Formats: sequence, C-alpha cells, structure tokens
Amino acid sequence: MKIYVVDNGGQWTHKEWKVLKKLGVDSEIVDNDINFEEIKDSDGWVLSGGAPSITNEIPKLGRISEILDKTSVPVFGICIGAQFMALHFKGEVRASPIPEFGKTKVNFFNQGGIFKEIPSEIVVWENHNDEILSISDDFKICSNSKNCKVQAFYSDKKSMFGVQFHPEVENTQYGTEMFKSFIEYCRR
Amino acid sequence: MTSKLLNEIVEKIRKELKGKGILACSGGTDSSVLAVASKLAVGDQILSIFVDTGLIREGERERVELFFKKFGINYKILDESKLFFEKLKGIVDPETKRKVIGQTFIELFEREAKLSEAEFLLQGTIAPDWIESGGKNRDTIKSHHNVGGLPEKMNLKLIEPLRDLYKDDVRELSEELGLNTSLQPFPGPGLAVRVIGEITGEKVEILKKVTRIVEEEIESSMKPENRPWQYFAVILPVRTTGVHGDKRSYGNTVAIRAIDSTDAMTGTFHKFEWDFLEELSTKITNEVPSVNRVVLDITDKPPATIEWE
Repeated sequence: MKIYVVDNGGQWTHKEWKVLKKLGVDSEIVDNDINFEEIKDSDGWVLSGGAPSITNEIPKLGRISEILDKTSVPVFGICIGAQFMALHFKGEVRASPIPEFGKTKVNFFNQGGIFKEIPSEIVVWENHNDEILSISDDFKICSNSKNCKVQAFYSDKKSMFGVQFHPEVENTQYGTEMFKSFIEYCRR
Repeated sequence: MTSKLLNEIVEKIRKELKGKGILACSGGTDSSVLAVASKLAVGDQILSIFVDTGLIREGERERVELFFKKFGINYKILDESKLFFEKLKGIVDPETKRKVIGQTFIELFEREAKLSEAEFLLQGTIAPDWIESGGKNRDTIKSHHNVGGLPEKMNLKLIEPLRDLYKDDVRELSEELGLNTSLQPFPGPGLAVRVIGEITGEKVEILKKVTRIVEEEIESSMKPENRPWQYFAVILPVRTTGVHGDKRSYGNTVAIRAIDSTDAMTGTFHKFEWDFLEELSTKITNEVPSVNRVVLDITDKPPATIEWE
C-alpha cells in the first residue's frame, strides 16, 4: 500500500508525508513536474499545499492535471491542491477578499466521502490567500466558514476529495481522521 | 541497548565521515544530540566547536562548556563577538543578518578545519530547517543560517545526520542520551534576530538581561511540560515616553514572545495569567531601567513566524 505526496512547495508537505507514515502507510514525496505515468505503484495521491497563487501561477503546479485526468486511484487535494482540482473540473477560483490564516471555525454539512464522520463544526488551521468559489456538480461541497464558501468537497464516484484547510497539522481537529478515511478509500 | 534511531545516526556518521571532522555545536538540543552521537560513533575523530558570537544569552558559554566536559566531548570554544558585531554593523534586513552570520560561521569553520586537517563539517540541521529554507517550489520564508547561509563555494563536505528528523524525534534521542530535554529551541543567529533593526552592543546587553528575566520567571513558575514551546524577548527600535519617579523618561520597548507548538511548524501564542504578566513586566522595568514599556505578541503561526526576524 503506497500513497504518494505530490509536492507543490508547501511548508507542510513534509508533515503530510509524516502523517501517512504514522498511520502505517508507505509514502514518498515527489515533485509536481515529473511524468506521473512512470509511477505504477501508487494506491493514492495527496496533492500538497504550496505558495503559488492559483489565479496566475498555474505553471508552478507542473503536471498534476495528468493525475486528475488519468488516475484510477483516490486523490486528496489540500489547499492549492484542492483549488487546482476545483479549477480543473470547471470550477471557479479567485483571490480571497478575506484570506484566512491560523485558527478558523468551519461548518460541515451533508458529510460524505472521507468527511462522513466529521462533526458539524470543527476548528481547523488555514493558510490561504486564494479560495474556491464553485465546483462542478459531480462534486458535493460539504464545508464552509464565515469568510470562505468552499472549505471541503468530495466525489464518491471519482473518489476525489479536497480541503481548503490543512488536515496534516495537529491544530486541525479530525485532520488525522480525514487521512485515515482517505487511506480506507485507497485500500478499496 | 541503543535505539534503532540512534544506531541509524551513528552508522550514518561512520559511513559518511572520512578522516577528521569538525562539528558546529551551538549547545542547543539538535547540535548537542549530534555531538554526543558523534562521540559514540567516532570518538575524538570529531572536534566540536562552540562559537561565542556575543549574540548569545547570559551564561550560555559556561553552560555549553559544562556540557562538553560532562560528556567527554573533544571541544574548542571560539571567542568571536568582536568579529560578529563588526560584520553586522549597520545591517537592518533580517535575511542579510542571517546570511552574514551564516557566512561568518562558515569562514570560521573553514579556518578551524584547516587547523585540525578536517574535510568534513557536521551540522545538526533537522527537517523543519530545510523546509523553511526554500527549495525548488517552496517560498523562502526564512533562510535558517545553518542551511541558507552556506556560501556556494564552501569547500567543506557537509554531513547532516539529523536531516529527516523532527523536533520530537530529536527530543527522544536527547532523552535516550541523558541530555537536558527541557532546553527550549534557540535560533542559530541567536539574539541577532531578536534585536529588530541594527544590532548594537547596548541593545544586546539590554536584551540579554530581559531574556534572563523572562526565562527565570517562566522556568521558576512552570514545570517543563507546562512551559511554552519557546519563550523569549525581542527589543524593538521604538522609544516611548515614560515616567520614572516623577522624571520624564524616553526608553526602550521590549516585546514578550511565548508560543505553544509541538514542532515549530504551527503555533498558538501562550495564554499567561494576567497577574503573571504584570509581575513579569514590573520585574523587567524595575531591573532594566532603560526599558520603560513591555508589550506582548499575541499572533499565532501562521500568520506570524515564531521569531520576529
């Protein structure tokens, strides 16, 4: 069982790798501009956070669109990873009128996918200047906050999941549970 | 029976070190663990060097020398405060401070390596350092001097056995080796990044006293496990008015920074009791008269970093 962490340059990419290791899964960090088809043994992909802006620095996200087009295994997008997923599947992204940093309360509703067990309100750790406005309707939005409409979304059909916040830091409640549920999806 | 982790470190040192080596030891948790592990691995084949930059806390040098002696480490102490203050004269930009300090360290180590005919430099770099130093995609948040400051043409081969470890892994090793595990992290560039703006001898002296008071007050009133991850003072380039015994004064301002964290990657400011803060502030302004205003940093990470520079 191996889950790859695709590095978009986030300062917590190393933590995403560490959480997977701690949950007993083999993991490896790979750059986002490699040829993903060469990786044959991936049971799941985590698309890391990163500093590039989704609004004008897409080239810095390398070839991750190839994963979203061709993969048959689950994908978990975090922060800019999630924003890119939204954009890739014809959603809208923009610079946040009110960016969110650090401790933030988010609401969860019609929970599903890896978010099935998440309570209706939790504290998470944010670190974003851009945000998702909308996403195609084969995804379900299941979380928002006062200043940001899309904090989490999922598609059971595609087994793809995205979060604007950072489940890999311990300040985010239920972050490890989200990774655990994602691993279950990768096991199927 | 040594742990798997310690054995890996010892093996790594034995595998990579050829001939003599020198080791940059600041007396902090990371480099101290490395110094003791190196002693286990190759004995006196490595010379641990502590550089007194003049930008360290009161009693730091004596504490580190005691540590070297207690663990039978082959060591040398360099007294270079004049050099560092000269090199830092007039420098305000934090990144330049870190680069200048990093380069000065490397020049000193290259000199010492020649003296002891060593080709290798061992450093206690751990995971968070290389993350924040900006790699291919990462934004350069802050170049930690023991990585960011390395001039390209460094002709010392680098060995960094702790490179993939986090603070909590290093703490486990520290416990195993019988080191003091309640040491709070202290930055490589030392007080240079806690004197905001240009560094002067006068400001550093003030900061040393205030730092000692902050540490003493917290360490005497809290058990190690209840203490913040880091707790220190910063001297600001801000003078404000005060009144000392009916006389008007125009004094210095210091900020108190205390943050809770498990590995410095994120953090929340520590919530002290109001009475504790009042006592701390009174003690500072009484014992360090040139400080007449004390403020508290109440910013989490992110958006702020733990250190101010």
